[in-house]
Amino acid sequence: MNLGVFVLRRLGLAVFVLLGVAVITFTLSHLVSSNPLVAWLGRASGNSALAAEYVQKYHLNDPLYVQFGYYLYALLHGDLGFSVFKGEPVSEALLQTLPYTLQIAFFAILLTLAIGIPLGVLAARYQHTVVDYSISGFYLAGIASPYFLLALFLLVILTYTLHLLPSGGAFSPGIQTPYPITNFPLIDSLLEGRWSTFTDGLAHVVMPSLALALGIFGYITRVLRASILDVLHANYIRTARAKGVDETTLFFRHALRNASIPVVTLASIVVTWLVTGTLFVEVIFAYPGVGQYAVQALSNLDYPSMLAITLVLAVIIVLSNLTADVLYAVVNPEIRLR
Amino acid sequence: MTGGTQQSKRFLRMFLTRNEARLGLTIVIVFLVVAFTVAIAGNSVVPYDPIQQDVGPILAAPSAAHLFGTDNLGRDVFSRIVVATPNDLLVSVIVISSSFLVGIVLGGVAGYWGGILDEILMRSTDVIFAIPALVLAMSIAVILGPGLVHMTYALMIIWWPPYARLARGEALQVSQKNFIEAAKTSGTKTLTILRRHLTPNILNAMLAYATLDIGTVVVVYAGLSYLGLSVQPPTPDWGAMVNAYQDYLVSAPWLPLFPAFIIAAVVIGFSLLGNALRDTIEAQSIS
Repeated sequence: MNLGVFVLRRLGLAVFVLLGVAVITFTLSHLVSSNPLVAWLGRASGNSALAAEYVQKYHLNDPLYVQFGYYLYALLHGDLGFSVFKGEPVSEALLQTLPYTLQIAFFAILLTLAIGIPLGVLAARYQHTVVDYSISGFYLAGIASPYFLLALFLLVILTYTLHLLPSGGAFSPGIQTPYPITNFPLIDSLLEGRWSTFTDGLAHVVMPSLALALGIFGYITRVLRASILDVLHANYIRTARAKGVDETTLFFRHALRNASIPVVTLASIVVTWLVTGTLFVEVIFAYPGVGQYAVQALSNLDYPSMLAITLVLAVIIVLSNLTADVLYAVVNPEIRLR
Repeated sequence: MTGGTQQSKRFLRMFLTRNEARLGLTIVIVFLVVAFTVAIAGNSVVPYDPIQQDVGPILAAPSAAHLFGTDNLGRDVFSRIVVATPNDLLVSVIVISSSFLVGIVLGGVAGYWGGILDEILMRSTDVIFAIPALVLAMSIAVILGPGLVHMTYALMIIWWPPYARLARGEALQVSQKNFIEAAKTSGTKTLTILRRHLTPNILNAMLAYATLDIGTVVVVYAGLSYLGLSVQPPTPDWGAMVNAYQDYLVSAPWLPLFPAFIIAAVVIGFSLLGNALRDTIEAQSIS
């Protein structure tokens, strides 16, 4: 199978999965209440003018499969319902909160790799030594920590004890949020040339991202360690060693490069973990992203927001899985044959 | 039969030589003993009534009288943590065993017969995998309303897919082995093949996974409880306690950190146990 066909097949699967997710959220929207209007309008469903508009728009008096058709049609046009507690369409609220979450996620992934890869290399290099055992203790503690523990722990140490980083929010009080150009506050502050706003924003991103990274880096460390040890026993390494390649070159140039390939398969676990973790991290650090929005929606019983967030997070996960699959097929042609 | 007991004795010996197995087992046993004692004897086993306010000074630091200190209402934190132990155990055991059962039936059947049945199962697990467990549980929770029982339902609904996949993979492998072929040609009924030959072979791999997974359920349940979706106050629950106490992170950091560390300890216990179990099974299948 060539790469084009492989990508097309994966794309088809992704579309199918998203359709399945839409079926789930559609089903949930009908389970919310005997009146499906509640799922679209929440507490505003008592407003008769708005209610009539939505009944007509989603054909709520028609059979379920017709309704599902209009539901999909609305989703594809970016209409995700109306959030009563935000007082604006859900899509609008998502557009404001999602960039904040993506900022944290971006730095969290960077930190995850920056911590996970070197520790994986060290653990493999010094297999069955104190180094190896301490590293596995360290990552086990990270993996086992409930989502909120690392965030609280970092707060106690980095903010309340060492006074190094701000305790929460996206910017310090008194700093004006940059004018939205791309909607990503950090990028916008750079585009507007406001350097102090940028560094302030960056300081607020560090702890949330670090809290996420410390919880997830262990998966990368564990897989990389095992993969390096596997590769070191491969024939081509023996050949290289017999040819007189020195150990450092052998390790970094020959072994590490091939051993890194399986790490790509962890993308799905990492992204799913990040998405879940942001719910807690954003609440603890009062960071105005999707996670905080979701938790607010939950406590306000804001069904349209909750269902839309579920859908959007699924889209993020499916897209990143797709990217990882394609990337994996590019670096490892063997996979395309299956 | 004697061969079987000898085999399991050897397995146990191999298992117990591992440090992580012994450490994990210790943590898990302590957790289980506490949970069962509280479940049977109730509040009488703890030094103070977990709901009674002002049993000590407000926000007292850990001391001999109050092992984990007291909270903002003067309640004994140690008593509250101990009494909440059975919740997590109950939820994990119910969620894991239902997922195990559903998984082994669906996965086993799909893997053995293959075809359209298999395709349907695999694609539906793909869909559920696309939504993070906790987020899906939150959506279901919004509909069902908060509470321990509702959270258990929510988790049961979404937890089975990995089990079905695991069982399916194992069933697929086993079904191509010679002894199944032999059973088929000798005219053994399909149901008997499934029960006698297929299931025992699938079980091993699934048991190790399930042990590891108990920790995951504990973490996700703690998350839901933290978000206020499970047991309602004043009844104590670990996740909910962390949430309620995090405002005191500056003045009394032990308040939110103790319950959070306890959750982590339980998860570490099950992870170590599950890892050791998996490694022993692997080592045994090689030898």
